[in-house]
Amino acid sequence: MDSIVLIKQVPDTTEVQLDPKTGNLIREGLKSIINPDDAHALEAALTLKDRFGGKVTALSMGPMQAIDVITEALGMGADAGVLLTDRAFAGADTWATSFTLARAIQQVGSWDLVFCGRQAIDGDTAQIGPQVADWLGIPQAAYVFAIESVNPKHITVKRRLEDGYERLQCRLPALITVIGEMNTPRFPRVDRLLAGCREKAPIRVFNAADIGVKTREVGLEGSLTHVIKTFAPKFKREGKILEGGKESVVRELIQRLKASEGATACRAFASACEL
Amino acid sequence: MIRSNPEHLIRDSMARFVDKEVIPQAQQIDASGEFPMELFRKVGEMGVFGIRYPRNKGGSGGNTTLYCIIHEELARGLMSLAAVSAMQCLMGTNFLFHFGTQEMHENFFLPAMKGEKIPCFCLTEPEAGSDLGAVTTLAQRTKDGFVINGMKTWVTNGPIADFYTVLCQTDPAKKLRGLNFFFVPRETPGVSVSQPFETLGTRTTRMSEVAFTNVHIPFEFMLGREGEGVSNLMSILSEIRAMTAALAIGLLRASMADAIQYAKERMAFGRPIGRYQLIQAKIANMATELEAARLLTYRATKMIDDKTPCLKEATMAKYFATEAACKAADEATRIFGAYGYSMEYTVQRYYRDSRFLLYGGGTHEVLQTNIARWAGL
Ligand SMILES: Cc1cc2nc3c(=O)[nH]c(=O)nc-3n(C[C@H](O)[C@H](O)[C@H](O)COP(=O)(O)OP(=O)(O)OC[C@H]3O[C@@H](n4cnc5c(N)ncnc54)[C@H](O)[C@@H]3O)c2cc1C
Ligand SMILES: Cc1cc2nc3c(=O)[nH]c(=O)nc-3n(C[C@H](O)[C@H](O)[C@H](O)COP(=O)(O)OP(=O)(O)OC[C@H]3O[C@@H](n4cnc5c(N)ncnc54)[C@H](O)[C@@H]3O)c2cc1C
Repeated sequence: MDSIVLIKQVPDTTEVQLDPKTGNLIREGLKSIINPDDAHALEAALTLKDRFGGKVTALSMGPMQAIDVITEALGMGADAGVLLTDRAFAGADTWATSFTLARAIQQVGSWDLVFCGRQAIDGDTAQIGPQVADWLGIPQAAYVFAIESVNPKHITVKRRLEDGYERLQCRLPALITVIGEMNTPRFPRVDRLLAGCREKAPIRVFNAADIGVKTREVGLEGSLTHVIKTFAPKFKREGKILEGGKESVVRELIQRLKASEGATACRAFASACEL
Repeated sequence: MIRSNPEHLIRDSMARFVDKEVIPQAQQIDASGEFPMELFRKVGEMGVFGIRYPRNKGGSGGNTTLYCIIHEELARGLMSLAAVSAMQCLMGTNFLFHFGTQEMHENFFLPAMKGEKIPCFCLTEPEAGSDLGAVTTLAQRTKDGFVINGMKTWVTNGPIADFYTVLCQTDPAKKLRGLNFFFVPRETPGVSVSQPFETLGTRTTRMSEVAFTNVHIPFEFMLGREGEGVSNLMSILSEIRAMTAALAIGLLRASMADAIQYAKERMAFGRPIGRYQLIQAKIANMATELEAARLLTYRATKMIDDKTPCLKEATMAKYFATEAACKAADEATRIFGAYGYSMEYTVQRYYRDSRFLLYGGGTHEVLQTNIARWAGL
């Protein structure tokens, strides 16, 4: 059972801070990590490999620093890594990202399963997995929390729904997106990490030409959507401490709530208090 | 060629392990006094114990710098775990690795690399601490091997170990040149171990006496050429001292991090105590000494990796980093006020554990004596 695992390097925070002037992500002082869901995806692939044998390849698209998530994947037990890096890939939306990843997957060789995380903690769209499956023309199961069985032709999984779960059987090859509930990722071994830092490490680095895509098909140029502006929503809060006796304070509070602009709930609350 | 930087990668990876697996249980493990076998095995599964040894001989293919980075991170979480792991990588297995037979390699060294067997290192005796020339444990040559008689003390891991590396005298007339290391498996008849000592710090690490009474071992259990025991010990002394310095840096960082957090939260006279200059001075000293300790320590480890002699540099690193860690832990307990005296908070553990660093690899009086001599006195 050969697998490809898509792993994204993300900043180690769920509270992404934007530079108020440029709208760019503030990366200073943030460590980069494997996107948490992707570590679970990798663990799922490695567990299958432990049971049935086969080869696990970790694939990431990103700047050169994203090599660290590839090395970490080798540290956890992946057999090989592929880093897709090229200036032309920059600024990709999910359409261009999934297209690039799908083309790279086709270059990697034979595989039975593609594992993705459900969602990246920075981009947060949860679109990449399903889109990659579509480009590859293979079945997909998203939000998977358990693999029930695998045989050379099929995989049966359980996927989380809002109010329960669904058992699903897919033909192979297939793509699965994994949620954190599925497993506990193993820690990397230091000997494997060190081997992954050596020149001879089984890591391939591909650019646009290597995967046979034109620069206008990828990155910002290949994107169907363009981000015009990024901003952090402002929550203005003004504190005011009312002073005086209990009764007068409560009365004033209700008056103020009633007068508050646009806050229907506040006004309703105030009216209810008056009753 | 795009490749990761192994030092950053391994530090980050260990830091995550420590934050997720060690720190959340450290207080409870310390309070229980039980050796954290499960965590120790996990560290073994990560390949840490082989970090100094080459890959083709069962190691992980790292070096002294990586060894120290890993143990700095572990010490930030729990000193007793870091100390036992450090021993597993270096003092407990080094002579077995270099001088042991193939059989010892397979039956003891390789299992120790996985954490399945526990080693220890026996130098100190009731009457011989800093002065190793006073070691009296005797290994007497017989027609088919050696017979060992004597008593070792302060043996870290003594009660739980599977094998011992024991410094013995083979010819008292030769003094230091008569000292040699021997390999002794725990099951050898004549080996007995005392109850563990009650100690101030590193409370989950077990220290005890180990007595050797007519312990017969074959010739090949002598580790290294006869007469070279002390020079073999000297060959790892810089590394022992640099490693102790790295443990100290880990403890210093833990003390400083907890002190900063507390100083931001604790209010007195209407403001967080971190706004007072006397508290700021304590943190400023910790931060500055931390940087200095890092520079001294990792200069020494780079020299060890480059095979440049650096006993002076490693000695200064151990002396400076340990004093800085003891000071930082002390100051942290003061920043915590009364809560620094409570067993519920972490800083009391740092304070107790910092004392562990003072003795191994040479007491500071001995180190200062050496440094003064190297300085020209
Ligand atoms: C700072 C920033 C700037 C951006 N700028 C633009 C922009 O200018 N225009 C625009 O349209 N979009 C932009 N995006 C969104 C960007 O397109 C998405 O981050 C990217 O397409 C992946 O989508 P996602 O992060 O939502 O991943 P998700 O769909 O949430 O990820 C699901 C899974 O897909 C896999 N995956 C996702 N990305 C990768 C990858 N790179 N390599 C390997 N596997 C991967 C992982 O397994 C992951 O768990 C930006 C995002 C960020 C964070
Ligand atoms: C937690 C812990 C774990 C240990 N683990 C091990 C272990 O695994 N294996 C092992 O073999 N040993 C171990 N030891 C023992 C340690 O190596 C010794 O404590 C150390 O060598 C000092 O010996 P001592 O305690 O007998 O002190 P002594 O040598 O008796 O010294 C007593 C005091 O005199 C001072 N002093 C001694 N000589 C001089 C001098 N020339 N000039 C100035 N002052 C001097 C010392 O600095 C000290 O202040 C451990 C100790 C501790 C505390």
